[in-house]
This record gives sequence, C-alpha cells and structure tokens, in this order.
Amino acid sequence: MLYLIGLGLSDETDITVKGLDVVRKASRVYLEAYTSILLVDKSILETYYGRDVILADREMVEFASEDILDNAQTEDVAFLVVGDPFGATTHTDLVLRARSLKIPIQTIPNASIMSAIGATGLQLYNFGQTVSMVFFTKTWKPTSFYDRIKENRDIGLHTLVLLDIKVKEQSYENMARGRKIYEPPRYMTVGQCAQQMLEIEEIKKAEGAGGVYDEESLAIGAARVGGKTEKFVSGTLKQLCEADEELGGPLQSLVLLGRRTHELEIDYAREFAVDREGWDRIWKRDYDAK
Amino acid sequence: MVNFTIEEVRALMDKPTNVRNMSVIAHVDHGKSTLTDSLLAKAGIISAGKAGDARATDTRTDEQERGITIKSTAISLYGNLQDDEDLKDIAGQKTDGRDFLINLIDSPGHVDFSSEVTAALRVTDGALVVVDTIEGVCVQTETVLRQALGERIKPVVIINKVDRALLELQVSKEDLYQSFSRTIESVNVVISTYFDKSLGDVQVYPYKGTVAFGSGLHGWAFTIRQFAQRYAKKFGVDRNKMMERLWGDNYFNPHTKKWTNKGTHEGKQLERAFNQFILDPIFRIFAAVMNFKKDEIPTLLEKLNIKLNPDDREKEGKQLLKVVMRTFLPAADALLEMMILHLPSPVTAQKYRAETLYEGPPDDEACIGIRDCDPKAPLMLYVSKMVPTSDKGRFYAFGRVFAGTVRSGLKVRIQGPNYTPGKKDDLFIKAIQRTVLMMGGKVDPIDDVPAGNILGLVGIDQFLLKSGTLTTSDTAHNLKVMKFSVSPVVQRSVEVKNAQDLPKLVEGLKRLSKSDPCVLTFISPSGEHVVAGAGELHLEICLKDLEEDHAGVPLRISDPVVQYRETVTGKSSITALSKSPNKHNRLYMIAEPLDEEVSKEIEAGRISPRDDFKARARVLADDHGWDVTDARKIWCFGPDAGGANLLVDQTKAVQYLNEIKDSVVSGFQWATREGPVAEEPMRSCRFNIMDVTLHADAIHRGGGQLIPTARRVLYASALLAEPGLLEPVFLVEIQVPESAMGGVYGVLTRRRGHVFAEEQRPGTPLFTIKAYLPVMESFGFNADLRSHTSGQAFPQSVFDHWQILPGGSPIDGTSKVGQIVQEIRKKKGLKVEVPGVENYYDKL
Repeated sequence: MLYLIGLGLSDETDITVKGLDVVRKASRVYLEAYTSILLVDKSILETYYGRDVILADREMVEFASEDILDNAQTEDVAFLVVGDPFGATTHTDLVLRARSLKIPIQTIPNASIMSAIGATGLQLYNFGQTVSMVFFTKTWKPTSFYDRIKENRDIGLHTLVLLDIKVKEQSYENMARGRKIYEPPRYMTVGQCAQQMLEIEEIKKAEGAGGVYDEESLAIGAARVGGKTEKFVSGTLKQLCEADEELGGPLQSLVLLGRRTHELEIDYAREFAVDREGWDRIWKRDYDAK
Repeated sequence: MVNFTIEEVRALMDKPTNVRNMSVIAHVDHGKSTLTDSLLAKAGIISAGKAGDARATDTRTDEQERGITIKSTAISLYGNLQDDEDLKDIAGQKTDGRDFLINLIDSPGHVDFSSEVTAALRVTDGALVVVDTIEGVCVQTETVLRQALGERIKPVVIINKVDRALLELQVSKEDLYQSFSRTIESVNVVISTYFDKSLGDVQVYPYKGTVAFGSGLHGWAFTIRQFAQRYAKKFGVDRNKMMERLWGDNYFNPHTKKWTNKGTHEGKQLERAFNQFILDPIFRIFAAVMNFKKDEIPTLLEKLNIKLNPDDREKEGKQLLKVVMRTFLPAADALLEMMILHLPSPVTAQKYRAETLYEGPPDDEACIGIRDCDPKAPLMLYVSKMVPTSDKGRFYAFGRVFAGTVRSGLKVRIQGPNYTPGKKDDLFIKAIQRTVLMMGGKVDPIDDVPAGNILGLVGIDQFLLKSGTLTTSDTAHNLKVMKFSVSPVVQRSVEVKNAQDLPKLVEGLKRLSKSDPCVLTFISPSGEHVVAGAGELHLEICLKDLEEDHAGVPLRISDPVVQYRETVTGKSSITALSKSPNKHNRLYMIAEPLDEEVSKEIEAGRISPRDDFKARARVLADDHGWDVTDARKIWCFGPDAGGANLLVDQTKAVQYLNEIKDSVVSGFQWATREGPVAEEPMRSCRFNIMDVTLHADAIHRGGGQLIPTARRVLYASALLAEPGLLEPVFLVEIQVPESAMGGVYGVLTRRRGHVFAEEQRPGTPLFTIKAYLPVMESFGFNADLRSHTSGQAFPQSVFDHWQILPGGSPIDGTSKVGQIVQEIRKKKGLKVEVPGVENYYDKL
C-alpha cells in the first residue's frame, strides 16, 4: 500500500494520529521536501516518529519514482507531504504510476495553506483561483497570474498568492552542462511578491491592459501560518513591499483582497494593519459595498 | 629615411576627401607583398634596391621563411599628383589639393587565412586585386573579389609578373595582349556576377585606367593612362581619347596615318595600337638588355627618355633590366595614381556603405554620422582585429573610424558582437589609453584620428574578444559583425608536456583566440583543450604561435580531427512527445531537414536572427518556398543563437506559450550545440513545435521543468527523422602541368576526391583541376600530392560545403558511419552506443 500522508503546516506534531500510526509501521518512509518545507529539521521528525525517514528531492520523485514504489504492492510505503497531499502541490503523477503498477493507495489528509489561510479572518467562501508567484529572472517574467487575479477581482473574490521556493535547484548553466551543483535555497517573501505584482501591473498598464490592482490595493501577508511564530501583516501592496522585516522568515503567502470583502473580514484584519486609519479609509473608498 | 612625417599624415587625415583606404588582395603567390614593397620604397620606408625582395609587410619570421603572408599588415603612405590637370580625372568625387594619404593593408592570399582578408576589407573602401599573368584568375582571386564586393569595396586590378611572361614564356606581343584581355574578362565576369546597384558598375577596363600591368619583383608597372599621356602630345589628341585608342581593336595605319578599327590594310595585318605603342618599347628593352646588345641600349634609353645613374649604367642582364624598367615605368607612380584616381575616398564610400555597415536604423545619429563621414558626429569605430604588441599578451585593437574623432583618453562604449542596444550584455565603458598609427611592423603615436581613417588603439584588448564597435553615442547599434567565408573545420587537441605549465596554456589559448579572427579554442566535453582552424596550414601556424609565443611552453599536439555536424535526412516518422519531470507539461515536436540553400544563406549571414521578422519571412517565402505564416513564427536560430537550425512555432492557440519560450529556446540552443548522436553541433535541421500542454500555474512550468524537456523532445524528434552525419568538404584547386596530371588523379581517387572541372590555361601547359575533397581525407594531402607529381602540383583547399557522410546510419553501430560516431563518443568519454529514442520519447 502506498500511503500519501499530509504533515500539516508547521512542525512534527502536526501529523494526524492516523498518519503517525502508518509512519511507525511502514517499511519505508519518504519525506517530499521540495514543493514545501516544514519549519523543523528532518532529524526532529525522525526522533518524534522513532524511525528513519528518507529525504525525497525533486530528482528522486520525478526521475526515480520506481525506487519509491518498489515492492509497494506487498509492503507499506509512506510518502510524507508537507501540508495536504493533494493541496496546493500535486502528486497526481506518483499516484498514476502507482495505479499502473496495481499498487493500492490511501491518502491521509491534513491541513493545508489553502484552508489555513482562513486565519487571516478572510472567509474561504470568498476566495477565487489560487495563483503562484515565481522568482522573476531578467528574461522570464510570466504574467499569466495577472489574468487569474483579474478574473477573481472581476467577481469580487480574494486571491491567495503562493510564493516560490527554490530548495534544491540547478542554475541553468549547470543544468545545461549536466552538473549536479545546486543553488542555495531561496524563499520568496511577501515584499518581493508585492513588488513583482506591481511591476507586472506597470507593464500591463503600458500595454493598455492594466488596472486590475494598484499600489493602494489591500492585501494581507501571512508568515508561518499554523506555527508558533505565525504572523500576519495587512496593508496596501505598497506597504507590504516594506513589510519583510515585520513578517520575519519563510514560509510566506499573500492574499489580495476582493471587492466583496465583508465588514467582519476588515475588522478582523485591521488588527494586523500597518496603518489602521489608512486601512479603513481605503476600505471605505474602494471596497465597502462596491 | 621616411620621406614624410607623422605631422604631415595627421594633417591629411583632416581632409577625408584625400584619403584612400585600400587593401591588397589576391590569390596566394600572385605577388601582393612584393608589389606592396614598391609602394613602400616610394614612401621611403625601404630602399629602392631592396624593393621586391624585402617583403616589408611580412613582419613575422615565419612569413619571411615560408614566403607567404599570414597576417595582414597596415601601413600609411603619402602620395601626390603631379599636376592640377590630373585632379580632373578623379571622377564623381571631390578632392582638396594634390596631396593624398593612402592607408594600405597587405593581406594574406592563402585561403586558410582569408578571415584576415575579411578583417582588412571591412576597414577599407578600395581594393587592389593582384592577378598573376600566367596563372590568371584563381579560386582565391574569386573568393576575395566576392568578399570585397560583398562589403561594397571598389576594385582596381594589377596584372602582375609580366616579366615572367616575357622572360620565361617568351610570348609574342599579340599573345600577351590576348592573355591580358582574357584575364581582365574573367575578373569582370566575377564582378558582374556580384553586381550591387548601390556600388554601381565596378568592372575594370584598361582604357579607363582601372587596370595596371607590371612586375612587382622588378618594381615596374604602368596603366594605359601613362602611355596615353606620352602619346597625346605627339598625336595632338586628348589624353582620354588616346586611352581608348590604346586598348582593344584600335590600329594606327602607318600608310594612311590614320586611326582605324580594322585590323588589316590592303590585306596586310596591322599591329594593334596596344602592341605597337605600349608593348613594343617594353619588348625592345627586354630584348636589348637580355641579349646583351650593349650598343643598342643607350639609343633606346635616349629615345624613351630614360636617364640612368652612372652606377646603374654599369650593370647588365637582369640587374640592368630591373633598373631600366623601374626608371622607365616606376610601379609606385602607376599604382598610386591609379588608386588616387579611381578608388573612392571615405567620404564617397561611406555614403553607400553606411547601410551595409550599420545594424541600426538608417536615420539615427550614428548612421547619419557614418554616411557623412562626419568628424564631429558621435564616434563610430569598428575594431576588425587584434594585433599582438611587443608586450607579450597585449594587443593593439586595429580598426577604422567611421564617424567622429577618436583620441587618447576618450571615454567610449565598447560594444562586443553580442551587444544589443538598451541592454548591458557585452558592453564596457572605458577610456582609450592611446591611439597609434600602424606602420608595418612598428607603430607611431598620434594624438587623435578623425572619421575615415585607420588606426590602432591601446587599452581596448581586455574588453573585446576579437572585434567590436566603439562609440560615444548611448543609442548607437553595432557596426555589423563580420561574416567569415571560412569556418574552423579542422581541429587538434593540445596538452602541456609538463603539468605545471597548464595555466600558461590556458592563458596562451586565450591570447591565440584573440589574435586570429577565425580560430576557435574550447574545452571538449572530455576535458581536452581544442584548437580549431580553417585548414591544416592555418592550424599549424596557430599552434606554432601558441607553443612559441602565446603560451611559450612545450606542447603535445594530437593528430588533426574533423568537426562533424549532425543533421536529419527525413521527417520525424511520428510526432515526438516529451513530458516535463513533473509530467504536467508536454511538448510535441517534428524535425525535418532545412533546405541546404537556406542553411547556406544563414551561414553567409544573409538570413539572420537580427533581420526584421517580416522581411525575413518574405525572403523565405519568395526565395525558398516557405509558408509565410510559418516563416514569421521562427522562434530562434541555433546553436549560439545564429546557427543554421531553426525552431518554428506551429502551435495553434496555446495560452501562455510565450512564458515558456525562453526555456524552450535555451533547450534548443543546448540541443543544437550537442546533438543526440555524438554531441556534435547540429546543422540544417528545422524543428516544428506542433503542440504544447502546460500546467495551469507558472510555478510548475519554469525553466527547471521546460529546458530539459525541450532538449529531450528535440532529441527524440531528430532521432525519429533518419539522423545523418555531415562531413566538411574542401574545394581543391590544383595547378599542374599536363605531364603530372596522372599523379593528381591517382591521389584524389584514393582520397574520395571528386574532380568536377579540368581546364587548360590558354597559352600555357598548365591545367587547373577543381575537385571536392572531404576534409577528413585531406590530412597530408599536400605532401602526398607533391610526392606523386614530383612537386609539380600546387593545391589550394578551401572549405566549400557539408555533405552527408556515406556508409549507413549513424545510429547503427555496425555501419561505417556508426563506427565513426562510436569513435567520437569514445573520445568524448560518452557511452559508446548512441542512446535510443526511448530515452527521450515519452508515451502518452
């Protein structure tokens, strides 16, 4: 049996009781560690679980899945995924391969940022499509997220923006040379995300297709949701550009508010505002009952 | 003793109408350097007695030893016209006074060094094409002439080595005339083939004074103009009219004392005016001197108004002949006059050259500055090559000021060949340390140099690899990057004998690459240092330089190896599909061969990634039968963003396709640089992206996912399209006497050579054989040929085209081609078997 087990959001104790039972009796346990990370070390997990855990990086999952699935027809193999197995990141490919090898599959869900973001006080019912923000390069600035946000904003919904992490990536040059040299890990911050969003808005405006949001659009930055050091900061996109220090380390996400923001939502998020008066003023001007 | 000073040169530079920038170009051994000597003797740089032997522009010892020019050398000369009358003959352009500055570049004739010629042509406006009387127009004459016309360079011709025709072949006057006229005709055939409307008709005609005849070795030459001047007075006709009479079917009938164009009088043959008035005196001098008719000589000299020094009168035989002829018809006078009268000044030339020189729009300040040759415009300077200085490892940047004025200390933008306006790649902003005048082997400092002149720069070499643009305008585009007619197809690997010398080798390779426009140095995947050159000789010279000069350490050098190219010979049998590592992105691709013609156009730079895509699509559609919509959707060229492989987008309505374009292009560059069969570069393949499926979110379709996938799908599509291996083929031209022809054929046949033309040079026992010879078979060819023809055959090889290597499929390890592929793979340290398509093709 292949078990896909969600680990929750922050530390070793977030695993479900059911999940922990499986981990303890499985013959092999893999920890997927490239689409998201836990805020604790692998060794802490191992002590807590009382057993060895194999780290599965991108290469292993994408190129050597047969190792992971080896003998899973008869043995129990646990594949641990930070958050929820089928949450923000998808491991459908692994499941498809398991299916084709006639391996039975069971999923043990857990909390995901997709649901935990409710801690910002925003109602999950009011969220539209989730988008990701990648690290821009000199030549690569994908703008497709902008269209998604536009669709969400057109019907007044919030947008959850997930931020890029690069845990074990090769530089393009090393990739082209086939050298397995990896760059140091990088995590995008809310400030970077807000800056990139405004950059694209500028580009779109120049093309005559802008106006989806601007510097004064309200948003909430979230850091380490569900963890002990959870932190929220709300304000305009411009204010969030400067909020990295307050938010602290990884992992972070951002929510861009939709026009249908409820009064209660605003009251809740005012707690986190950089500038509460401004928060209320802009809400009244641009959002309230519009 | 130099009979002009730097100050005089500098003063002339300010009058660009009186500057002539010209290169001397020819087939190897037709006598360029020797002829150049005569000009230098005139300028007082070498003594008149040594002219013809000194080869002053061959500054390297190996050039002197081998008797061939390897590197082009520049020198500035001072020239003047005798008479204000002469100025009237400078047609179509202005002049300012009778003094002229002539910047002359002597370039190599051996095909292996023709990249040097390209570099020389770029900075000049006119060319003196030297043709051997006996050998006539040869393969390299044609090549350099074609190159010159491509750069919009106006040619004038000198038919050289006339002394050999007289002394060795003992031809008659009429035979000599016929031989001249045949040679001129074949030059004109080449010129008219490459007719360029902006340049106008530049065919050469003796009666217009654009053809000279002479002997560089003996230091004499003449144009018809000079004889016309002598006879115009005597016959009381206009000089220009006289010139027309002295060539072609014009006769002076001594019986009627009238000019006629009929060759007979009352049934008797008349003597052609050219023979009677020009060749006759020359023949008589030769006959008198060489037959030691001492008594005839003084009268003859008096009649021709030739005054000799008392010392020279004592000489006899060839020595006397040389002195007499040189006094009678000094080569420098004829050549300088011809160049001044008929070659364009920078002011004239830059008007029509600006658009071919400049990559940017024709109406920006840089282009207008070039067009007007304006010394006050922003600086536009092209560095065409690097010349080693006496200071080891440092180079003078050699180039031409096209607009503005350059001076020591000026802060300039140094734009390399990959610079694009608005970006910072390949761009440096630095001050010029010093400006110098290049005078053959030595240099003279000069304060500043205005538009239209040639110079050397100190302190630029660290910032430019081989060539580039220097400008003071922030918005200026590059001056067009030079395209070379030869490509580095032969390579040898080098290693140091003593391991501790390795850093010196690495540094030496860097310097070598800088000093030669056409050499390539790189590290092979298996870690060897490789040097690639245009031919065996070129490579030999490069490696000698490397060992003795640039690196200065003992080297071990491998046998020469041929560079192959990978290609496809059919269309992919099925659409290739590859999935990204996360399986969410899928690319569908079909490979097919690119027309050989299109590939050649790309390699010649006539179809390039920098073209306007609409204009390029038009050319591809009109001339090469492409579908216009396809042609407009060429994503890129490769490898190195300019090679002869194309990636074409044929998808329909794929959203966010342009977000992955960069990644796919990177994968394409990677795949075309190292093909699927032997990791050799690919050539002449067209890849069509048929369809693309993408993950909804940008984070799952980044470079990490798409670049390797693009490479895999390209490999898969190529392996499904009957891959082939291309080998480079030389065009060999061999001059050989009839008696030794058997040996030539024997050697060629053994080496897979294919003879396609055999021609006798009229009036000589010499045959010219043209053949295609695979580069692989060419190693040791020259020596082999020499031994089978007792040294009577003279071959010239130049890279001509790529051909499919016959003998089976490269992916079949049992075929002959497959064996070669396995050899290459073994050498590169790869798995010996070619990986099959299943490694790259993913099932749905």
